[in-house]
Amino acid sequence: MKLREQLTALLTSLAGVWIMSYAWIVLKLGSIHVPDAGFLPFLCGAALAVLGVAWLLALHWTKRKEAPAEKRLWHRPLSSLLLMIAYGWAMETLGYISSTLVFVIAWQQIVEKEKWAKTLSIAVLSTLAMYALFVHLLKVPIPSEFFLR
Amino acid sequence: MDIFSGLLDGFAIALTATNLLFCLLGAIIGTAIGVLPGLGPAATIALLLPITYVIGTPVTAIIMMAGIFYGAMYGGSTTSILLNLPGEAASVVTCIDGYQMAKKGRAGAALGIAAIGSFVAGTLAVVGLTMFAPPLAEFALDFGPPEYFALTTLGLLLAVTLSGGSIIKGLIILLFGLILAMVGLDPISGKIRFTFGSIGLQGGFDFVTLAMGVFGLGEILYNLESTMKTEIVTTKLGKVFPTLGDWADSRWAICRGSVIGFFVGIIPGGGAVISSLASYAIEKKYSQHPEEFGQGAIQGVAGPESANNAASSSSFIPLLTLGIPGNAAIAMIFAALMIQGITPGPFLVAEHPDVFWGVIASMYVGNVMLLVLNLPLVGLWVQMLRVPYGILAPVIVLFTTIGVYSTQNQVFDIYAMLFFAAVGYLMRKLDFDPAPLPLAFVLGPLVERSLRQSLLLSGGDPAIFVSRPISGILMVIFVLLIVGQTIFFLRRKWKRRCCVPVPPETEKSL
Repeated sequence: MKLREQLTALLTSLAGVWIMSYAWIVLKLGSIHVPDAGFLPFLCGAALAVLGVAWLLALHWTKRKEAPAEKRLWHRPLSSLLLMIAYGWAMETLGYISSTLVFVIAWQQIVEKEKWAKTLSIAVLSTLAMYALFVHLLKVPIPSEFFLR
Repeated sequence: MDIFSGLLDGFAIALTATNLLFCLLGAIIGTAIGVLPGLGPAATIALLLPITYVIGTPVTAIIMMAGIFYGAMYGGSTTSILLNLPGEAASVVTCIDGYQMAKKGRAGAALGIAAIGSFVAGTLAVVGLTMFAPPLAEFALDFGPPEYFALTTLGLLLAVTLSGGSIIKGLIILLFGLILAMVGLDPISGKIRFTFGSIGLQGGFDFVTLAMGVFGLGEILYNLESTMKTEIVTTKLGKVFPTLGDWADSRWAICRGSVIGFFVGIIPGGGAVISSLASYAIEKKYSQHPEEFGQGAIQGVAGPESANNAASSSSFIPLLTLGIPGNAAIAMIFAALMIQGITPGPFLVAEHPDVFWGVIASMYVGNVMLLVLNLPLVGLWVQMLRVPYGILAPVIVLFTTIGVYSTQNQVFDIYAMLFFAAVGYLMRKLDFDPAPLPLAFVLGPLVERSLRQSLLLSGGDPAIFVSRPISGILMVIFVLLIVGQTIFFLRRKWKRRCCVPVPPETEKSL
């Protein structure tokens, strides 16, 4: 955890320096009488750079013993995030109904490792519920189906 | 319009069939998400923000959002008492004695006193809101850019310092939120900032995508990592109506919790979590039997549950009168108002009295609804805990995706939301409290505008922030807060180095 935090602190400082230079060179600071678009971003960047260094120093001074961590499954959030990105792409390409159906099936199989019968019933019911709520009840325009275009 | 006639008009609005229905809907959704661990009121309001586009009138939308917020406080106690797992953050301390009561077969009494305490405190806080909000709004009419700059920066700083986590991390998130708010067109000079050539970013990030990503999907992604399983207390709930003895034991705890919650809720960053912690500490300190706390003392449930409800109602005061959201959930309601074309602040009571009084009146009604929902239906809420997360999570993903798509009918918003989901997930992994992010994002434009307008007004003289009485006082508090926090940190460090070897896992960085 400490190494991860040190890296984040360093990145925070670097991001702060980058924001300062972007605000100075690209956006322009203006003057104290007439501040320009880069004025507040510059101040925020400077504060971030300082806070990153302060965090690094605080980590250096603080001796922490890590508490035993609960076992966590990192691959589940990663695979679900990838599925969500694919869902966003498929929604526009395949259409709302097909992509939603495929997404829920993929989620239940890859993330939850469910049996096929349960997977299919959850997928059909949730797709129908979403369609009824958003399209019929709330009249939300959805991307049309690829096969019906 | 005086307070009494305003309130009467408010009741006329709140008691229409549509508003009653949406108030009930908000109360039910709020209780449900309060019961379900892992999804807080801020996340739920974020998930429902797109629905506000299709709800006809602003007052109806805000009545529902408010219902979700204070409804979650009622529901949160259920999981704390039955599972020893807080349904939402403000119910953390309820676990201590509530769960012990449940283990002793007094779950019903604990749930009952939590609901009654919540009702009493919630109603008292709404009375306070009715009395305090109009004069405060009138006072705030005199505020100019320097006062707004001082107030918003102080509010943001308080939100970080009172959150209880690392102050450095809180400030980093705050600045990150401010920078995100600057993406797109600069409102004064018209320059494009931080878009890197993307046309989709020229209008800036949408609050709905940020809120849904960080609070909705970010939380889902983090919860997916967990392998923890919890068991519901299997003992019978018993009678949910407290006995006369229970009532006698907890009545003063409810009163004290109401007062503490009301005042802590007004402070930006104070909110429901701190008020419940403060109430528990006070009940234990002044109890004649402090040794009973942690063993199932009913005051340990009544006080904190009353405090968190009072705080959730009183946190509407800075929003409705000054336009300053004090916590993440209130920031979502701020966004809902903006979506409806209403700017919260001192002009709200004069320009939109229907919204102002309608929402306040609906809170009286909502509290009664929640009491009715929570006491007899507690068994039903417990059944809801049996819905597997494997079903709940993809349904929430579907909900957020179509919800965020519906705001502007473009897939770009879905990708923006997924970016914020990854940010929210990483924030939790690195132990960052995400609460200051939406506050900084919604207040960012106001901070920048008031800073630049103040400097233009004064011809570049920063003394304008201290030379005017209200902004001067606020700035003095701001400086005192920074100095106080620094001294507190250095003293704690010095004590640790010189004196006592404190257990390392309790050490927290600045």
